[in-house]
Amino acid sequence: MYEKEKGLFDAFVAGKLSRRELLSASAKLGISAAAGGMLLTQAQTRAMAADFDWMAFKGTKLKLLLNKHPYADAMIANLKTFKDMTGMDVTYDVFPEDVYFDKVTAALSSGSSEYDAFMTGAYMTWTYGPAGWIADLNDYIKDPAKTNPNYNWDDVLPGLRASTAWNGVPGGELGSADAKQWCIPWGYELNNISYNRKMFEKAKVEPPKNLDELVATAAKLTKDLGGPYGIGVRGSRSWATIHPGFLSGYSNFGQKDFTVANGKLTAAMNTAESKAFHKQWVQMIQESGPKNWSTYTWYQVGTDLGAGASAMIYDADILGYFMNGGDNKEKGNIGYAPFAANPKAKAPTPNVWIWSLALSNFSGQKDAAWYFMQWASSVEHDLFGARKMDFVNPVRASVWKDEEFRSRIDKSYPGYLNQHDTSAPGAKIYFTAQPLFFDLTTQWAETLQKMVAKELPVDEGLDKLAANVDKQLKDAGLG
Amino acid sequence: MDHTSNLERIIRGGLIALVLIFFLFPIFWIVLMSFQTNETILRIPPSIFFEPTLSNYSALITGKLKTTAGNLDLAFMKNLWNSVLLSTLSVALSLILGVPAAYAFARFRFRLGEDIAFTLLSFRFAPPLLVLLPLSLYFKQLGLTNTYIGLIWVYQLICLPLILWIVRGYFEDISPDIEHAYRIAGNSWWQTFRKIAVPLAMPGIAAAGLLAFIFAWNNFVFALILASADKQPVTVGALAFVTASGIQYGQIAAAIVLSIAPTLALALYAQRYLVEGLSLGAVKG
Amino acid sequence: MTAAAEHMPRPKTSSRFLRRSLPYLLSLPALIVCIGILIPFFTAVYYSLLRFRLNLPALKGFIWFDNYLNFLTDAAFWNTVKISLVYAGLTVGVELLLGLGIALLLQKPTRFNNLASILLLLPLMTAPALAALMWKLMTNPNFGILSYLVSLLGFTNFKWASDPSTALLTVTLVDVWVYTPFIMILLLAGLRSLPKAPFEAAALDGVPRSFVFFRITLPMLLPYIITASLFRLLDSIQQFDIVYSMTQGGPGDTLMVFQVQSYLEFFQYTNVGRSAALLIVLWAITYFLSNIFIKQWLKLRERAHGVA
Repeated sequence: MYEKEKGLFDAFVAGKLSRRELLSASAKLGISAAAGGMLLTQAQTRAMAADFDWMAFKGTKLKLLLNKHPYADAMIANLKTFKDMTGMDVTYDVFPEDVYFDKVTAALSSGSSEYDAFMTGAYMTWTYGPAGWIADLNDYIKDPAKTNPNYNWDDVLPGLRASTAWNGVPGGELGSADAKQWCIPWGYELNNISYNRKMFEKAKVEPPKNLDELVATAAKLTKDLGGPYGIGVRGSRSWATIHPGFLSGYSNFGQKDFTVANGKLTAAMNTAESKAFHKQWVQMIQESGPKNWSTYTWYQVGTDLGAGASAMIYDADILGYFMNGGDNKEKGNIGYAPFAANPKAKAPTPNVWIWSLALSNFSGQKDAAWYFMQWASSVEHDLFGARKMDFVNPVRASVWKDEEFRSRIDKSYPGYLNQHDTSAPGAKIYFTAQPLFFDLTTQWAETLQKMVAKELPVDEGLDKLAANVDKQLKDAGLG
Repeated sequence: MDHTSNLERIIRGGLIALVLIFFLFPIFWIVLMSFQTNETILRIPPSIFFEPTLSNYSALITGKLKTTAGNLDLAFMKNLWNSVLLSTLSVALSLILGVPAAYAFARFRFRLGEDIAFTLLSFRFAPPLLVLLPLSLYFKQLGLTNTYIGLIWVYQLICLPLILWIVRGYFEDISPDIEHAYRIAGNSWWQTFRKIAVPLAMPGIAAAGLLAFIFAWNNFVFALILASADKQPVTVGALAFVTASGIQYGQIAAAIVLSIAPTLALALYAQRYLVEGLSLGAVKG
Repeated sequence: MTAAAEHMPRPKTSSRFLRRSLPYLLSLPALIVCIGILIPFFTAVYYSLLRFRLNLPALKGFIWFDNYLNFLTDAAFWNTVKISLVYAGLTVGVELLLGLGIALLLQKPTRFNNLASILLLLPLMTAPALAALMWKLMTNPNFGILSYLVSLLGFTNFKWASDPSTALLTVTLVDVWVYTPFIMILLLAGLRSLPKAPFEAAALDGVPRSFVFFRITLPMLLPYIITASLFRLLDSIQQFDIVYSMTQGGPGDTLMVFQVQSYLEFFQYTNVGRSAALLIVLWAITYFLSNIFIKQWLKLRERAHGVA
């Protein structure tokens, strides 16, 4: 190795050198792009290797359970770095998203030791944690013998660290002092407006700033564009309908799903403010939502925006991100805007979905598996994924400061950085952590469907839902 | 014997045309989609005109999917092979077990006979989910998790009752007199079964075997729960195109076309047995 | 016929014991291979008597029949029973009539008819989970060819599976599309193996065709009809793939059939006890209905072949 080049790349990895500086400097030294990539990988390894024995589990074979997802793709593309650095072998099973969590539940509920670590969403850990299927990662993060000194856990966005930590008490606050770290945030999405800039220009509207404007803008778009509908929000009979735009807007009005008092939960969806919010939401879907709203899942939200069937979506920002590329008809036309539903709110309060990594309690080689997890969630890998792959949104503050990543995003995704930076401070999980999360949230979606279909008035529907939810909480000893 | 008037012929022709349109139009549309990219599939309104592309098929067959995020590996051909393996071996086992049993129920009246027959049918009553979850625990203890043998065993739940009960009906429709005569001629029971009974019931066996094959082929929950990614059938593999960065309709359509092809080939091959049904009429009692 | 079998002359070599045990030797392997799979069934029965939620391990306990008793007062449960029965009745009914009609149309073994009957199997060869995805696309209000065709006929606001009033109709349509060929091929094979003599005699006597159909064809075909509808019924009342892929049981609770509900109970809510209890109820309903079919089938067989 030539010392000069080595020093150059080390400086880059340590953040002392920008991408541009690195490129011009390496060009001066006559390093080709390919060789540069190789040197960069080696630099990644050297940066991480400082004062830590990465080879401790040399020869160990790990197996991962992964969802078919760009995050997993980015990891697989960089996996050789980990294998070279640790001498471990890593194999993986990738399952389609449609059936992924079924596979996880099946594997873990049978106590299978096949998988050492796996991808999960934060909500799922509210099941896996109490069921005893996953390990508390605080035991690893806080142990200097197990975690490399450069791991820099505090660099992970605080809202995400808190959202993936829960003390296991129903209604217990996320990220409390006694919380267990059930998983490590890996990549995340927050919910804002993604819109078709051409259509907005044509209809002469601006991205809406609050719910009143959203309802009005969506209606105007639907009317003026003559074809595309105004707003895409999820609607299928699933908890997944509640967690994106809907809960983000709902939380912005200070509304909660439950109130917690003396360790008991009570439904809080039938307050006057909640009813007003639901009425506006239902009206918006009826006036300017998709016709197939009640069977409308995340991929249709995206597909419709990408194919020019909808003018805007209030859903995951990365869905809008993906629709701006690929073979989508509207690629290059998508813009992004932060959104605070409540006109009186100071900032958006997006609820988040966090793809995370969890450590299986049934694994026979947890320490080795943790080596993989800390590598996969390291600054170095996060940076690699964010710059070179679609590892968006990265979870680390330092990556969001990376100039190369920022300029890549800013160039092709106008407004994306702004919507993220504006919303990130308020981005966290706004649900109350409790074991009946999936049952009760799915019922919420079911009720919403009945309201939109005009089978049930909003006020009556929410009172019924709350009564029903309270009964189930009581039956489970939680209410 | 056939005094069909012209009017009737026209009505018949019209009805057959309607039937074919209803059942085959969606297939036709899927085939069209398999030659398109998402960009042309997702047009408003949909159109039948497009510039065909083979990219979906080449991605599936070579296992390389080009996306904006780089090249991804696909395991589709492996999935297809798993489906062939699982369905073929499951149906073969079901036929070996089921056809003699069906013959026994049809030809002999024996103690507990109907009970055994009903019990075998009752495997089909249990909702798959009911059996699967506890089964995954037992499979772990037996070491059958993630093995083809374990899966083929579970697939008997789908194939065996179907083959047993359909083939039984055909055996019962064949007059025992023919077998009777053959046995008097000095042939053993086994020879009679092989040379007379099975060939006569062939249309039924072919139909039942084909249907069992199709049901085994279309199943996906068994392998999903009981095996890891390298043993997944094509039904699970095709779902991989519902990706986080959008749903790849063209590739799903191509996956459907490719996954239908082996079954269709089998059906066309079995067709001559299905057709022979008619010639049987002469020898039936 | 059983009588004939009993009086078959036996070659000297086969002992009385072998003769007696032959039917058992033939049928037991099938039973033995399957019986192992039944053990999990009893495990599931046990689960159904537990208060057992994987993510509330502290609450686990034996509660006898409480899971079942809770169903009695649960409106959602009765809705599920109703929907499952309606769904099964509707799909099997339509598929039977349509399948029989098509089998009659294709009865003559011409080259065209043979090819048509194989091509009609194509929908059955499409895995229901994937077929449902394709139907969802074809009925999509923006890109769907069927929505487009229907809008040309003036129904611009037809919402297919997304509207509570047309969801059942849409899902039934998909089920009919997928599974009618199953009944068709079985009945076609049955029709083609019917003896010719009665039909020739009837034709010579100039018996009206409707009379031939109702008095000769249909009775002779009945055992096939029963077998075919029995297997369809078993699958239809346990419908999952199509409903789940198209609506996840919605809109609202319009299509919340048994398997979808118990799937959600297990895989999403991890409520093992309740999920198992639901499935046991489904098993009982299936058992009861199939028993009726089987009894009928056996009775017909007796009549057709004469009592021993």
